[in-house]
Amino acid sequence: MTPQPGLIGTFCRIYSVLLYAYPRDFRLQYGTAMQQVFRDRCRDVARTPGRLPMLRVAVHLAADWLSTTVRENATAVWSAGRKQTPRSFVTEWAVTIAVYLFATTTLVQAYVVPTGSMEGTVRVGDHMLVDRVTYADPGIGGRYILPYHQPARGDIVVFLYPEDIRQTYVKRVIGLPGDHIRLDKQQVIRNGCRLTEAYAQHIATYPDAYRDNFPLAPDASTTPRGRDMFEHHVFNGEVIVPPDTLFVLGDNRENSEDSRYWGFVPRSYVVGKPLFVYWSYDAPTADLQEWTLNHVLDVAQHFFTRTRWERTLLVPRSQAAQEAGGAR
Amino acid sequence: MLRARGLTEELSSRHLRTPLLTSSVQWPIISVTDVFMAKTQSPHELLPLTPPVFHILLALSDEERHGYGIMQDVARQTGNGLQLGPGTLYGCLKRMLAAGLVAESDERPDPALDDERRRYYCMTTLGKRVVRAEAQRLAGAVMAANAKLAGGIV
Repeated sequence: MTPQPGLIGTFCRIYSVLLYAYPRDFRLQYGTAMQQVFRDRCRDVARTPGRLPMLRVAVHLAADWLSTTVRENATAVWSAGRKQTPRSFVTEWAVTIAVYLFATTTLVQAYVVPTGSMEGTVRVGDHMLVDRVTYADPGIGGRYILPYHQPARGDIVVFLYPEDIRQTYVKRVIGLPGDHIRLDKQQVIRNGCRLTEAYAQHIATYPDAYRDNFPLAPDASTTPRGRDMFEHHVFNGEVIVPPDTLFVLGDNRENSEDSRYWGFVPRSYVVGKPLFVYWSYDAPTADLQEWTLNHVLDVAQHFFTRTRWERTLLVPRSQAAQEAGGAR
Repeated sequence: MLRARGLTEELSSRHLRTPLLTSSVQWPIISVTDVFMAKTQSPHELLPLTPPVFHILLALSDEERHGYGIMQDVARQTGNGLQLGPGTLYGCLKRMLAAGLVAESDERPDPALDDERRRYYCMTTLGKRVVRAEAQRLAGAVMAANAKLAGGIV
């Protein structure tokens, strides 16, 4: 019936692919009809003799396709932009909540410090955001994109307490894997060098040989993991930090339960590093561990007077200890 | 109405004399009134119509037609001066449907073509009023042009 059914069929197939350049709604509504019209036009022109009319029709159809795809897409974008107003309230809040949940669980997390083991650097009642990205192993690809690095000596780390991972602790890294650590009269001796620690605070109320001249021998305050450390990692009166662990101490050196009592922190228990203090509120330890009605009332009453305003946005910084040789 | 026809014939004969490519390529005319056609009760708000919209309305003024039927009739009206491509045709129909100028009729095969079912379109009352108003506007324009150009300057 038609002079060149094969050629027309090919053109129609090409046109059906070209239709994908139109916006989806438009294509679904008119695509079939447009293909019919296209085929009818091709058939009509195929009946007329000569090459010239066919060329003209082909150029015309191509120009039609080119200009109307641009036009339909432009109007689709324009009308989509206009329709956004009524749904924006719900969408925006959904996006905000999703981003918030992602950010607060994956990127940063808020913690409150209830105990004074880091007093001098981090105070009781400091509410801070913890960066969970820096110390998290990002995998092979992410290593070059994310700000990843290993905890170094002098860094403050937030980690899960190895004896009870429901609790989160914050301490300072003193020993990396392979370091030899001991304490002599409250001073840390690392790899034979006596450390001068500007960040450490010594407010000893009573002498304690276990605490001040670590490691001697386990006592009642040593936990099971601490005993394991004494059994397997103490040589010649020095602790040798095993691979993939950290030896951490509190800056409030004489009032801190740290690696001296419960051993090393496995690398995988490290949560992150403190970003900054967003709110520091002077409250007793018990109130900070859980939000009680009393605490809520206390905050409501004394928010302005007991907030340590000068600590807001304070960054707990890493600090290297100065090493002096010849103490071995 | 007749004067309006006269103008389009004038236009189409000019087209036929132009070189091959420009005469065969009918670049769709995008105007604000066409793209942003809104539903309205006053026909004058939609004026002036773009040539494709005007001729589609004319094609539907005597009977309901399917897409290719409209295309053929528009070509006939303008002496092959205005060839609508599928994109132009359905783009216009979409906006004319939204503006309430035309309505979808039923879907049925055209005995003159093949046995495939085709969607037919018909003109609404508003469409009729709009095309009349546009024809009057064009008639006025042609009258003004004739009065000015009567001296045979062009």
